[in-house]
Amino acid sequence: MSALRIGLLLGWRQIQRANIWTTSLIIFVMMLTFLNLIVVSGVLVGLIAGAERAVKAESLGDIVISELDGEDRILETEALVRAIETYDEIQNYSVRYQGSAILEANYKERRNLAAERDIANATVTGIDPAQEDAMSGLSDNLIAGEYLNPDEEGYILIGYYYLEENAEQFGDIFDTLSNIAPGVPVRLTAGDVSKEFIVKGIVQSKVDEVSLNTYIPEREFRRLFGRLNPDADQIVIRVAKPEQDSTVQRGLIASGFADYAKIQLYEEAKPKFITDIKNTMNLLGTFIGSIGIVVASITIFIIIFINAISRRQQIGILKGIGIERRAIEIAYVIQAAFYALLGSALGALLTYGFLIGFFERNPIKFPFSDGILVAPPEETFIRFVVLFVITLVAGFVPAWLIVKQNTLNSILGRK
Amino acid sequence: MAIIEAQSIHRRFGEGDLVAHILKGINIKIEPGEFVAIMGKSGAGKSTLMYQLSVLDTPSEGSVIIDDVDVASLEEHERTSFRLRTLGYIFQNYALVPDLSARENVMLPLLMKNLSWQEAKQVAGTAIDSVGLQGKYENLPAELSGGEQQRVAIARAIAGKPKIIFADEPTANLDSVSGKQVIDLLTELHRSHQHTIVMVTHEREYATNCTRIVDMEDGRIVSDVPN
Repeated sequence: MSALRIGLLLGWRQIQRANIWTTSLIIFVMMLTFLNLIVVSGVLVGLIAGAERAVKAESLGDIVISELDGEDRILETEALVRAIETYDEIQNYSVRYQGSAILEANYKERRNLAAERDIANATVTGIDPAQEDAMSGLSDNLIAGEYLNPDEEGYILIGYYYLEENAEQFGDIFDTLSNIAPGVPVRLTAGDVSKEFIVKGIVQSKVDEVSLNTYIPEREFRRLFGRLNPDADQIVIRVAKPEQDSTVQRGLIASGFADYAKIQLYEEAKPKFITDIKNTMNLLGTFIGSIGIVVASITIFIIIFINAISRRQQIGILKGIGIERRAIEIAYVIQAAFYALLGSALGALLTYGFLIGFFERNPIKFPFSDGILVAPPEETFIRFVVLFVITLVAGFVPAWLIVKQNTLNSILGRK
Repeated sequence: MAIIEAQSIHRRFGEGDLVAHILKGINIKIEPGEFVAIMGKSGAGKSTLMYQLSVLDTPSEGSVIIDDVDVASLEEHERTSFRLRTLGYIFQNYALVPDLSARENVMLPLLMKNLSWQEAKQVAGTAIDSVGLQGKYENLPAELSGGEQQRVAIARAIAGKPKIIFADEPTANLDSVSGKQVIDLLTELHRSHQHTIVMVTHEREYATNCTRIVDMEDGRIVSDVPN
């Protein structure tokens, strides 16, 4: 106890009397270390979190209903939709029909029948335009033309990736069509059935399920694909409050709809690779942050070592007059703790007071995502504890090395 | 009954052909209440002897018994604790912690002895008053003259009421006026409180108030007489 009191007194007074600029610089280094630890991994994870957030907002919603394993469709879709409409917690939902078709363009200008056709294997989604727009904000993703009108027929929305001019930036990995623009006719062929549509709009999103898709009204989809049965491929639901998702899921399952479809929360339904990439990014961020911790701990080590070695005689005298080694070591650990605490506090203030909001308002634009900064408080706390403990060790070791030296040699400045 | 009893103390430094034999079989007994001056030319071994007697160093041979404790047999942490409880030190370079005020410097060993903050503050204040530095409690060492710093060091040495005070050339870094003030202060402490004081000095005029003068030469005591 007495050693702790003296350690606190010596440590705190050293901090108080130290050069303000030197102290500020050390704290600044610690703040950068904290930011390196939190922000680097936060941004890396944020890239995926941004993508995930977009998928949830623009495609999958809070609850995803899909066909059971071994089935082609959601069974009893109409009954399920009726049930969905009874929930006050549900804000919007969209019933989707999905299939693959050959999308062909420029067929009217094709004079030479031996020439290659301008076609692409396309995903076609049949939607209720109003329902889908309310659910996923599809009309917000229009970059050209107009959104589908529920009363019209013969119009199609085409995803951005199917346009030839965009092929280069994606390494030409998708089938693309040339000269696609609003007003241009295209032909969809599903099996033996073909139908001409007029391109009404081009949709672009960082969610591949939107940009690599085509949208037509549900009734035209069912005609084209011969789907007389109203059973859908996917129903996506958005709840009014995020915490209500499991209530609705439990309710639908309790009503027996789990026998007809897979009813999953977004977290359960999202592709596993998203979680894998997030974990990988987190690991990568932690690795990069760890390098920062090593640099910071070496910095603290050097600072404390120089401080202690320059006070070697004083340390010897303190031991000479009967001050325990522990007290002197604590004084240096206190200093290291002060630097780590203040640096981390400033870093946390900057992260939570500014950076998270800043990245929220100004996301990092990546082709596949609008990157945000993800820094869950509990993870930040764990990383802070790691930084703090390592800093304490980095402060203790040099103090221990100097304090353990022979008392008289220290007093006399002998080696 | 001697408070310090050293028998056949040898102190060697180095190894092999480079060994330096600094103390060559010193025997000395110091009684409680004595004010002993250890004198000698530079290199005579007087400081080395004081380090053995003050538990700052361990003799290569021989034994040192202080207050009935064989200090050579103590572990490092026990020696530190022994110094705290039994001994007071005055070093030639004042040896104050530059970041602490005069009072906090004096409080350090008191806090180590588990006195409460308030008790330590009060005792330290009294000790500082007794060395004539009233009103300078909060001054940092850098804000005090050399003589004043040495008086703070004396206050630190006496505050814990040690049984023996060791002073290693306490006037070495002081001008003659400050040096005399420090010696007068030590003399007064000895007279009024009957402290046992062991002082190393090479200036004979500062030893005039001591009760005993020990002269050293080449690692040996050549004269040990009452004053």
